[in-house]
Amino acid sequence: MSGNSAFNPFEMARAQFDKSADLIGLDEGTRDFLRTPMREYQFSIPVRMDDGSTKVFAGFRVQHNDSRGPCKGGIRFHPQETIDTVRALSMWMTWKCAVADIPLGGGKGGVVCDPHNLSAREQESICRGWIRQLARDIGPTIDVPAPDVMTNAQHMLWMLDEYEAIQGGHYPGVITGKPVGMGGSLGRTQATGYGVIYTLREALKELEIRPSDTTASVQGFGNVSQYAIELYKQLGGTVVCVSSWDQEEMTTYAFKKKDGVDLDELRGITDNFGGIDKAKAKDLGYEVLPGDDWLIQDVDILIPSALENQITGENVESISKGVKIVAEGANGPTTPEADAVFHQRGVFCIPDFLANAGGVTCSYFEQVQSNMNYFWDMEEVLGKLDMKMTSAYMAVSGLAKKQDLYMRDAAYVVAINRVATACKNRGWV
Amino acid sequence: MSRFKDVQDKLLVSLNERAKELKCLYEVETILNQADKDLVQVFEEVVKAIEPGWQYPEICRAEIEYGDKTIRSGDFEPTPWLLEAEIKAHGNILGNLHVYYCEERPQEDHGPFLDEEVRLIKSLAGRLGNFLLFQQLRKMEESWQAIEDKESAPTNEGWRMAVKMVMGTDQRLYLQISRKMLNHLCSIGVESAQIMLQEVDQLENSEDVLGEVNVAGPRQDQDLGLLRSLVPFELAAEHLGSEEIILRVQEWIQEDRASFLIKALSDPRSSLSQVADVVRRSRHVLPDGADLAPTTTRSLHVNLCEHFLNDQLNFIRIAKDYVKLDHFFTLLDRIIIPQDSHGKLGGKGAGLLLAKWILESNSGEGSGVGEFKVPQTWYLVSDGILKFIHYNDLEDVHIQKFREIDDIRNGYPNIIQLFKNSTFPPDIVHGLSSALDDFGEIPLIVRSSSLLEDRLGTAFSGKYKSLFLPNQGSKQERLDALLDAIAEIYASVFGPDPLEYRRERGLLEFHEEMGILIQEVVGRKVGKYFLPSFAGVAFSRNEFRWSPRIERDDGLIRLVPGLGTRAVDRIADDYPALAVPGKPNLRVNVALDEVVKYAPKALDLINLESSTFETRDLKELMKECGGQYPGVENVFSVFDQDMLRKPVKLMLDPESDHLVGTFAGLFDDTPFVNQVGSILKVLEDKLGSPVDVEFAHDGQDFYLLQCRPQSYNEDELPAPIPKDVAEEKIIFSANRYVSNGWLPDVTHLVYVDPERYANLATKEELQGVGRAVSKLNKVLPKRQFILMGPGRWGSRGDLKLGVSITYADINNTSMLVEIAKQSGNYVPDLSFGTHFFQDLVEARIRYLPLYPDEEDVLFNTRFLLGSDNLLSEMVPEYAHLEDVVRVIDVASVSEGRVLRVLMNADLDEAVGILSDPEQSSMPDKQVADTSGFEPKQFWQWRLRMVEKVASKLDAEKFGVVALYLFGSVKNATSGPASDIDLLVHFRGEDCQRMALEEWLEGWGLCLSEMNYLRTGYRTDNLLDVHLVTDEDIENRTSFAVKIGAVTDAARHIPTGP
Repeated sequence: MSGNSAFNPFEMARAQFDKSADLIGLDEGTRDFLRTPMREYQFSIPVRMDDGSTKVFAGFRVQHNDSRGPCKGGIRFHPQETIDTVRALSMWMTWKCAVADIPLGGGKGGVVCDPHNLSAREQESICRGWIRQLARDIGPTIDVPAPDVMTNAQHMLWMLDEYEAIQGGHYPGVITGKPVGMGGSLGRTQATGYGVIYTLREALKELEIRPSDTTASVQGFGNVSQYAIELYKQLGGTVVCVSSWDQEEMTTYAFKKKDGVDLDELRGITDNFGGIDKAKAKDLGYEVLPGDDWLIQDVDILIPSALENQITGENVESISKGVKIVAEGANGPTTPEADAVFHQRGVFCIPDFLANAGGVTCSYFEQVQSNMNYFWDMEEVLGKLDMKMTSAYMAVSGLAKKQDLYMRDAAYVVAINRVATACKNRGWV
Repeated sequence: MSRFKDVQDKLLVSLNERAKELKCLYEVETILNQADKDLVQVFEEVVKAIEPGWQYPEICRAEIEYGDKTIRSGDFEPTPWLLEAEIKAHGNILGNLHVYYCEERPQEDHGPFLDEEVRLIKSLAGRLGNFLLFQQLRKMEESWQAIEDKESAPTNEGWRMAVKMVMGTDQRLYLQISRKMLNHLCSIGVESAQIMLQEVDQLENSEDVLGEVNVAGPRQDQDLGLLRSLVPFELAAEHLGSEEIILRVQEWIQEDRASFLIKALSDPRSSLSQVADVVRRSRHVLPDGADLAPTTTRSLHVNLCEHFLNDQLNFIRIAKDYVKLDHFFTLLDRIIIPQDSHGKLGGKGAGLLLAKWILESNSGEGSGVGEFKVPQTWYLVSDGILKFIHYNDLEDVHIQKFREIDDIRNGYPNIIQLFKNSTFPPDIVHGLSSALDDFGEIPLIVRSSSLLEDRLGTAFSGKYKSLFLPNQGSKQERLDALLDAIAEIYASVFGPDPLEYRRERGLLEFHEEMGILIQEVVGRKVGKYFLPSFAGVAFSRNEFRWSPRIERDDGLIRLVPGLGTRAVDRIADDYPALAVPGKPNLRVNVALDEVVKYAPKALDLINLESSTFETRDLKELMKECGGQYPGVENVFSVFDQDMLRKPVKLMLDPESDHLVGTFAGLFDDTPFVNQVGSILKVLEDKLGSPVDVEFAHDGQDFYLLQCRPQSYNEDELPAPIPKDVAEEKIIFSANRYVSNGWLPDVTHLVYVDPERYANLATKEELQGVGRAVSKLNKVLPKRQFILMGPGRWGSRGDLKLGVSITYADINNTSMLVEIAKQSGNYVPDLSFGTHFFQDLVEARIRYLPLYPDEEDVLFNTRFLLGSDNLLSEMVPEYAHLEDVVRVIDVASVSEGRVLRVLMNADLDEAVGILSDPEQSSMPDKQVADTSGFEPKQFWQWRLRMVEKVASKLDAEKFGVVALYLFGSVKNATSGPASDIDLLVHFRGEDCQRMALEEWLEGWGLCLSEMNYLRTGYRTDNLLDVHLVTDEDIENRTSFAVKIGAVTDAARHIPTGP
């Protein structure tokens, strides 16, 4: 094993890109252009620490591509962040925005730090320092950051405040992830879960299956799952099994009810992070099974919305032959080996970055509302979300059908082609 | 009827007599209060007032002899019918009071006089004595004033007045101070004083000799005359200034006044009630700590410590500087002291009082200690238990401690019942009843405060009971509950666990007594509940650092909403909030999901309605009565759209708001963390050792509940680091960020090589390492393996920074080691386990960072990379990661040794060494003061029992091919609650199978019972039997893999006799 062959996330992102570029037959110039970020900023943020000393933190911002609109992407506070990770993540953001067909490009940034070693005041100084270095290079029309690993709404508000202080005006559209009332959008909690079901609904339509004739099994009982179940039931579907994490026993359990789980009933016995109370569930008539059993239920639809790498080469064979659709609510729940089995079996897979694009779409809505300083009600947000998700789905599945592509490949092709076209139309390549 | 009238008449007569006496006393009192009259005039009035007080006033005459004067009520001749009393002041006889009857009267109790009249004359004489003393003092004061007024007068004559006053009023005292003056002059080298003193002493000595022949009288008078004269002071005036003489005299007078106190206190035989009495008396004689000589004061303080607090020398050494006599004036009102008691307040009581006094004397501005309270407390002294036992003839229990542990355990429930059904001595009941009146109907906690508990140097915490009492209902109910609680705590002295613990520490012979602390529970009424806003425990040394910025002496606070019980104990499914006083702004949980996940979920409180101690779900409680929660804005944050915000009380809606116990308000907006930090600093500094304190807050005030030397769990003691270990036996060593602890028997080691991990080419491989570790976590023996790997275990986001796992993937390890190996010219930061820090803390999983490139540390790459790797055999599906993940069976590669990890935070050193399993794991018990936990006794007994069972097993009858042992008994690592894992190779019919299972179950239940009696641990069935068939063995399914396994193989046990 030589050092050169070591895992590099950026190389991996490029490899994924190359595969799709080959499918499209992308020309060399465009390929070279898209394989590398357009701009990268690296800078130092000096911070006066609580004990009076000064420490210097390394900051980054990578703007991968803004041919379709201002860059969009999170800010990570992470120890030993490497530029290659940030590059890879910014590239994925470009494809994600493109597949959802929102007029934004891809970016990512961060600061090398571990907030566990920092007081709130020190973190605030880092946030403000980050903005001071980049105030000219981001903005509502240039690049719009958002929360990511170890950053949250509080950090966004500090950054917003610093930006507005420098620019001398109000620019709520410079950053997303803000709380409602401070430039945030309604519908954020629902967006991802509902988004999954909007795409699922379209898939069912295409497969000419009535939702009310279907059953589903869901992994996880967090935000995404709960709202996915909510909407799926409104469509008439029946969820027969959900799995959830048991903090006390350090393992997962699956909760099964043949006639369908009752969402409100389960929510009543669930802690804030989706842990369902096992004993109470039993009392309510649920069958409590080992966590992995969510996968082997005889259902039509699987909705993995918990963690990465849940459906693997090892367990993919235990999936019921009756499963017709897998809607990936989580990021990367299916390993390549399992994916190959789906492909071969003809299981219809709605790939993660399409299925869970509801989140980024809602961020885009936050930006739009912030820029016009007028905020929609929930109905309007969700209505627009439905429209966006539906058309995004249609574009991908349309291509998949037309070119007989696997859905995951089709999604990449659609995304990359949109970006490449924008670059060409602008006369860049 | 006439008889009744007779009785009635008698009663009337006697009532009349009492009235006369009272009137007399009152009259005399009135006269004496006219202090400005001439003395003779006053006495004349007094003798007149005395006559009507007697049964026959018409023939009663009174007479006062004072100095050379005799004052009589009228003219009369003394008769034989006389009652007399001495008029005394300061023990000096100043005169006499006489009452005569002029004529004979019928015989009564004392001649013609009544008992009551004897008492009356004594009271009158006593009152007259005080009056005279007061007069003298007043005169002295006046003349003193006169001198002070004449400022022009030569001040060096001031002493003469003072000395003369003493001389004139109190001869005995004068002799004392006069001798002390001579002593003092000698000590500063005045020769003539030495000569004088010699004269006095010689004479006194020869007097003693002569005394035996009875001729000492006249000479004694003559020579003590020197001391009685002004000579010593005149001599003093030649060498000392007037001011100094006066100061000395004043000091000696005070000392003399305090002599009764000193005498009683310095006598170890004085009973506690005697001591209490003199202390109470001294309150009037020695107001506000009168000017005693510093040496006297010190010895008083030492004696007070010895009598009330603790007679350990190192305790007294510290306490004497903080104990004050006037502390006891109020304290005594709340100490219940049975008759002839020689008890003390006990460890907890003494610890808390000392901490309070130390803090009070260091609470000035700038110290940061700030305002604090101690809950109202009553004390029942430690030998109350002996009185209780004696009163009920229960002396037999004292032999309990010498019994075998299983006998003790068997007998313990009976002792509890016996104690609960016994009665308390009336003086104790009376005291407790007063205590309840004082407390009123508020919840109480009854705490044990034994002599062994909290002594410096012994960690005897939590062995005895503490009980909460809701204390509601009628007085009798409350008293019964209190007595019941005390009886239960008394019984706990004879409980198996404390006795076993004492036996291990060689403290069995210690004369243990049990004081009782009755404390108000700090808190507020919230609906039908009673609870504090928050409570917890704070340590002056931090053994759980989640950041390299935190230093060990930064301290640690663990706190929870409600009663502090959940902060003191580790609770598997809940988390207390953590704060570090030295780094008040660092938080263990940073990301929002971490903050919410690790926030407390439940709280302990007292339900006043059902009179019970309860654990309630926090969410439900807040829904029920969130608005009334004391200090709600300091304890909770509202989780609202991706942000946690501090609640505004007015806007709070407990019904719909999602409240999270973050303590953000408390940490950010109040001086709480700094205050606790200052308290810990002051206490550690003054007590000379690390401390832990318990505290509670009722939303308004901060209360200190307990203070003791910092206690460590047995596995958290600093381990001694051996220095003479051969280098090849050392697997790693560390010298940065080391916390305390020791892992005695590590049998397996999982090593993820940092360089090879960094060179993995694909995401799948990197993730595979995490999955392989997760799998190993399930198959390796629990808590007997350690995980060593690069960088940040559980890192999120970037796989290359560390192995991607969650807590569930490593929860069976005994230790997590993070290796910071230099790459290029930078050393990666380590995580300190932050991603699941609180899980590690609560599960007692150790953490150690290694910096292998530093000087002076060892990192045995040869062992780690060169030893046989079992990965592919244990988890074949990950065989492709063999180069990266190495599973080492320590015993099989090191000739049967185990890996022992010793960590010492005091030295900031840790070492992992290969050791013989038999060798004592803690070589020097004195240093570490570890418990007597000897795993040996547990596994050896189990092994013996298994062999016994096997010898009785009729293999043929039950279809048994072979019997195997695996798990903790085989590995010699059993704890007191471990079960025995048996593997039975079975080849027979179903009926045989059932018979076998039944037979083994019988044995299992029997062994469980035996084990319970030995250890106190209850298990359902000590035998955990796994039946495997030929098919299992062939397919290597289930437990069959253990037979002939690559590592940790099951051991064959021969069956039959």
